[in-house]
Amino acid sequence: MAKVKIYSTPSCVYCRMAREFFEKHGVEYEDHDVAANGEALKEMINKSHQMGVPVIDIDGQIFVGFNRLGLEKVLGIKVA
Amino acid sequence: MYKLIVVGGGPGGVAAGIYAARKKIETLLITETFGGQSIDSSDIHNWIGTKSISGFDFAKMLEEHLRAQDGTIEIVDGERVSRVEKITDGYRVSTESGKSFETKYLLITAGSHRKRLDIPGGKEFDGRGVAYCSICDAPLFGGKVVAVVGGGNSAIEAVIDLLSYATKIYLIHRRDALRADPVSQEKIKSDPKVEFILNSEVQEILGNEDKFVNSLKYKDKVKGEVKELKVDGVFVEIGSDPNTNFLKDLVKVDDSGHIVVDHRTQQTSEPGIWAAGDATDVLYKQNNISAGDAIKAVLNIYDKLTGQNREISKL
Repeated sequence: MAKVKIYSTPSCVYCRMAREFFEKHGVEYEDHDVAANGEALKEMINKSHQMGVPVIDIDGQIFVGFNRLGLEKVLGIKVA
Repeated sequence: MYKLIVVGGGPGGVAAGIYAARKKIETLLITETFGGQSIDSSDIHNWIGTKSISGFDFAKMLEEHLRAQDGTIEIVDGERVSRVEKITDGYRVSTESGKSFETKYLLITAGSHRKRLDIPGGKEFDGRGVAYCSICDAPLFGGKVVAVVGGGNSAIEAVIDLLSYATKIYLIHRRDALRADPVSQEKIKSDPKVEFILNSEVQEILGNEDKFVNSLKYKDKVKGEVKELKVDGVFVEIGSDPNTNFLKDLVKVDDSGHIVVDHRTQQTSEPGIWAAGDATDVLYKQNNISAGDAIKAVLNIYDKLTGQNREISKL
């Protein structure tokens, strides 16, 4: 199974949408609150070269923002 | 072939979908997401019938209401419409992912998107201090100095989102007074963290060697002076542009790209296409108005489908 990490803030709606998307499809993920965790914020900026949330890392492939179709493709999720 | 395709899932599109379903019009609704631009609002206080609701819950509520119209409306979500073409007896609607659908009539409730800061540094520092979603990104500016550019309700909302994090917030607006609702303005006016810079235009965003924002330049239009302000972030709320590029050749649009409609029926210059909400030349961009105007459009479409051509007196 793919290793999924999301860098988020507590209030961010697109982060919530992404988390709900993972939960709906049974995708396990690690959630890093970059507002509370400075190390995670640095990691996120290093990976995405920007500081907008969410940033989603799927096996090293980086997504900035919540792009449902893109995530479905990479995770091999088939939608009826 | 559908009788009606609704493009958009904001309050206009959803209201249209619900009315179309109840009229049993064979309808397809295509949208990227639900809730429209309000989705990243932290708190909506003026959706009638609801004292207070977050943008996220607002979007959910709209989607649930639409999906409760079981069996009478089809929904394609996660898709953005990229093209509309005229065909015999109707229109073909294509999406970015390559799907296409045919319909007799079309209702455009595609809304608008935030205007980007089109000045030197605006694009370069996008996501590197220049931000467009205050509810998302405000927590990253803890202990920092930020500027909010704009003077409408969204600008005030950005200031409010930032109040819990930033140590100082400059609100920079090009006019001599804010356009936001007085109730919203009062929330921030007395806060010592907030400083108003009116009659001023932001001209350039500057950054440090790591390519993150560290200052901005603005022009005081009264004094004619250009000043530099040390800031770590710039939140941009300078209005919106309509999402109408995909059908500009088919319907009449005004200079700013908004679809020109007959405000009694929402009909566009093209007889089979209606439009409602922020994508149109409606004077006031409001959730409640978008919903009402979209309903007006569906009722008019229903009249057309059933041959009830109401007399509309000429003004």
